[in-house]
Amino acid sequence: MNRALTLTAALCAALSAAASATTYPLTLTDDLGRKVTLKAEPKRIVSMLPSTSETLCALAACDKLVGVDDYSDYPAYVTKLPKMGGLYNPNVEAIVARKPDLVLVSKYGKLAEPLTQAGITVIAVNPETYDEVFSKTLLLGKIVNREAQAKALVTSMKREIAKVEILTKTAVNKPTAYFEIDPTPYSIGPNSFMGTLLTKAGARNIIPATMGDFPKVDPEFIVKQNPQLILGVDAATAGARPGWNTITALKTGKVINVPKELNTILGRPGPRLPQALRGLAKLVHPELFK
Amino acid sequence: MSSAAPPRPPRSALPLQLAGLALLLLLAVVLGTGLGSVMVPPGEVLGALWRGLSGQELVGNDVIVWQIRLPRVVMGVLVGASLGVCGGAFQGVFRNPLADPYLLGVASGGALGATAVIVGGGPRPLIPAAALLGALGAVTTTLMLAREGRRLPPTRLVLAGVVVGSVLSAISTALLLRGEDRAREVLAYTLGDLGFSGWREVGAVVPYVGLGAGALLLLARALDTLQLGELTARSLGVPVERLRLLVIGAASLATAGAVAYVGIIGFVGLLVPHVVRLAFGAGHRTLLPLSALLGGTLVVLADLLARTTPLSQVGIVTTLLGGPFFLWLLRRTRD
Repeated sequence: MNRALTLTAALCAALSAAASATTYPLTLTDDLGRKVTLKAEPKRIVSMLPSTSETLCALAACDKLVGVDDYSDYPAYVTKLPKMGGLYNPNVEAIVARKPDLVLVSKYGKLAEPLTQAGITVIAVNPETYDEVFSKTLLLGKIVNREAQAKALVTSMKREIAKVEILTKTAVNKPTAYFEIDPTPYSIGPNSFMGTLLTKAGARNIIPATMGDFPKVDPEFIVKQNPQLILGVDAATAGARPGWNTITALKTGKVINVPKELNTILGRPGPRLPQALRGLAKLVHPELFK
Repeated sequence: MSSAAPPRPPRSALPLQLAGLALLLLLAVVLGTGLGSVMVPPGEVLGALWRGLSGQELVGNDVIVWQIRLPRVVMGVLVGASLGVCGGAFQGVFRNPLADPYLLGVASGGALGATAVIVGGGPRPLIPAAALLGALGAVTTTLMLAREGRRLPPTRLVLAGVVVGSVLSAISTALLLRGEDRAREVLAYTLGDLGFSGWREVGAVVPYVGLGAGALLLLARALDTLQLGELTARSLGVPVERLRLLVIGAASLATAGAVAYVGIIGFVGLLVPHVVRLAFGAGHRTLLPLSALLGGTLVVLADLLARTTPLSQVGIVTTLLGGPFFLWLLRRTRD
């Protein structure tokens, strides 16, 4: 009993110590599999991913940002920062000219190498799955010495998500749903970031996990699955497709084009994830949010 | 396909060859209609076709077979046939084995039109019109650039076509990079997609393919004469420049119509006429109709693979499977 108490106390102490401040130099392995060492707390950061920009600002580290990518647009503060290009056309010279002590990049671009050669510390951080949104938030917290804020942010995000899930879990009718992310058509598998949100929003995804995270779908498969809800297309477009007027969702008028703002946050694995889930749940179960 | 056939078969062999390739096409159509990502038993497929043809109410999987699969297969036949005929005619009129229906900028012009609409966020039904406009605009530009007085020298045409194609592709790429999140849609278009081809789309393509490919079939005899050389053809009374313009016009019309609705299906126009030539001889009265049948067969089978395997795009399949097959055939028949 005594020993258990001592252990618990020790654990608590260790935890609170860990939560207080990051100790530099900090060495970590980033999403490109590179070992990166931060010598000191970064003070001038360039973020090349919209979700990363959002997370840093949610951690009250907005003032550390000295530049962002072209697509970062939230919160309003980042829109005033110098733009450094996009994923495929980053402006390396502009980034170097900002004299950043840390550049946070996507693992898909090719920025890491030229910037590293220019002597700039680069870390690739790419949340892709639902769980990674939280683990990468904590990681970013550690990187910018905002660990306590990161933990608080994750806790509050999970609390907001739980509020939505309490409603959707009790829903009696969970509609079978097809979510179109582009009209080729591509959809989302249940294990993808958006797929997880769709399930949590109280829908039953017609795409099985075996088809992958972002499968190209044969239109006849969608007609066969006969979803009760179609998201991501407007009714006119869906109705004009051969054979689609026989789908239940079209007959009952449950074809909803996702509003642009919601679509943006649905594609952004960052701190606005609870809002994304709430917005999606409102589309799937409007009756629960009256 | 009898590989023992002599390189220049007597004319009486044509009906037999036509029947043989028609049977092959029929087989492809049966497979394409019977198979898909949704399993429909053969009996139900037949029932669906019957109910669709006789205008009865569609039940169960009928919608899939009659409204989705069959028009998709028919579209494949139309597009494949048109690419095959146009390829054969282009190779003949340019007397260049590398000529194909996309040679004069049809593909890149169509792609630019489609890309502009997709990236610009325009309504989807606008895509075919924009693609058609782009395709025909590109060909017209090529013809204007290649013109030498009233003559249309083949070498200048090919060069002008390549340049126009490259310039338009560069513009498409620039547009694409500005609208990155639409990249997948544009890419799907440039790799060919029969995905949402319904009866309405088939109906829209029929006039282009019918007019274009039909005209080319009628020009077969004149194309044969052209193979004797430009001077000889002239002395035999063939209006060479007018013939060239006619072939280009007809082929561009057929190809542009196809490109507008299904995007760019590569390699068919190049591959099919060569296969036919190697197997059945080079006369255009044989070459063009047989290329139509084989082109249709190839695209239908390629699309079947595209929608049931992870290869996913018909243009990828035609190139991946057609390429090696072509090389194999080429090596086998080397003398």
